Amino acid sequence: MKPDTRRDPAAGDGRTDHELVYAARDGDTIAFDALFYRYRDGIFRLGLAITKDPSAAEEIVVDTFARAHRALARLEPDDSLRPWLYRVAVNLSYNRRPRKGVVLSSLDEAADVAFENDEGSPSHVAEQAELRRLVLGAVDELGPKHRLVVVLHYMNGLNLTEIAEVVDCPVGTVKSRLHYALRRLRTHLAAHPELGIEPSRPIIANQLRAPKPITAAVPFEGE
Amino acid sequence: MRLFSRSCEFRQAAYLVSADRLNAGERIALEAHAASCVQCADALRNGRSVDAALRGAFSPLRERRTMIAPGRVRLAVGPRSAATNPWLRAPRFFGRLAEVSVMIGVTLFAVGATLDPSARQSTSTATHSVVQGNLRGQPPVGDIDYLRWIRLNKPDDSPAVSDQTRLPMGGRFDGDPVEIQKAPGAVPR
Repeated sequence: MKPDTRRDPAAGDGRTDHELVYAARDGDTIAFDALFYRYRDGIFRLGLAITKDPSAAEEIVVDTFARAHRALARLEPDDSLRPWLYRVAVNLSYNRRPRKGVVLSSLDEAADVAFENDEGSPSHVAEQAELRRLVLGAVDELGPKHRLVVVLHYMNGLNLTEIAEVVDCPVGTVKSRLHYALRRLRTHLAAHPELGIEPSRPIIANQLRAPKPITAAVPFEGE
Repeated sequence: MRLFSRSCEFRQAAYLVSADRLNAGERIALEAHAASCVQCADALRNGRSVDAALRGAFSPLRERRTMIAPGRVRLAVGPRSAATNPWLRAPRFFGRLAEVSVMIGVTLFAVGATLDPSARQSTSTATHSVVQGNLRGQPPVGDIDYLRWIRLNKPDDSPAVSDQTRLPMGGRFDGDPVEIQKAPGAVPR
């Protein structure tokens, strides 16, 4: 049997991001290409999630790596490349966000291509597609900051620390935004029992903290 | 009266239990707390459901790929990186400077050539009239020059042109002027 001689261009011969950045800084185009193949799809998906336009997302990929190429000399060795690239991509994506009045496809429509690859019975595929549509529609209704945190975590797989670097805010803020987004999504999705999400429970009266009685004496006006 | 209850401090952690990478001790503490707190148990259970729904919904999007080649980046970067070297920009700068100089020169030449000839002659006329004035002011010594001087200072004998011809005016044809006579008993309005 003939061994597979094809090599993954994103592997970069097993080199880390730092090594590839240093090599690219010295003019090694193969190293820069390896970085490009490593992060191309993630940046494309992020751009697609924000702009909802595949051609704009491709331009964002090109612009992001063009900026990275120019900034290679300025990149600190301790900096992580992935959050830096995602931050540039987020800024470029918000610059290309559709203006008011321009109707573009939503996240669930962007996923339609992927739905076609599902295996199983047609009814199962249709059911799964409908559930995904519901969830992504609810994500679309979130505000931009909360939506970005959800997209970066669930689609791009960034952890909370990396998201904090991308959106340039403390980790606590990221946690707060994700918590708020998940609560909002729970409220939206609880209307669909097939997802198995319960609605938020009303606060029971005895769980409320009783107000403190006024113990200090109220002075009279004449005193 | 207090309108909103203060939520449990573990509630956020209960929602983010899968997103935030808790260590084993934190996880055990959270689950122990959730056993006694209704809100946190509810948040823990439904937070996991929302998390699972989101992971399932985003899974096809995570497979989405693009086919852009790195050559597009090189195309976008290439010319600009060459222009960053100042020595490579110098010939272009001087070429541009030469172009601008030639353009300004041609423009000035064209503007100068199209000036009104009378405007250019006005200066020479003014000089000539000054010379004539000096000649008129000082009688020359020689006979011939004296005669010329007299001729120059001779007053203009040509008769004054008077506009005797009556021309049509105000839309009327040439004719005798019509005098409007007032009636003896006419009273102005």
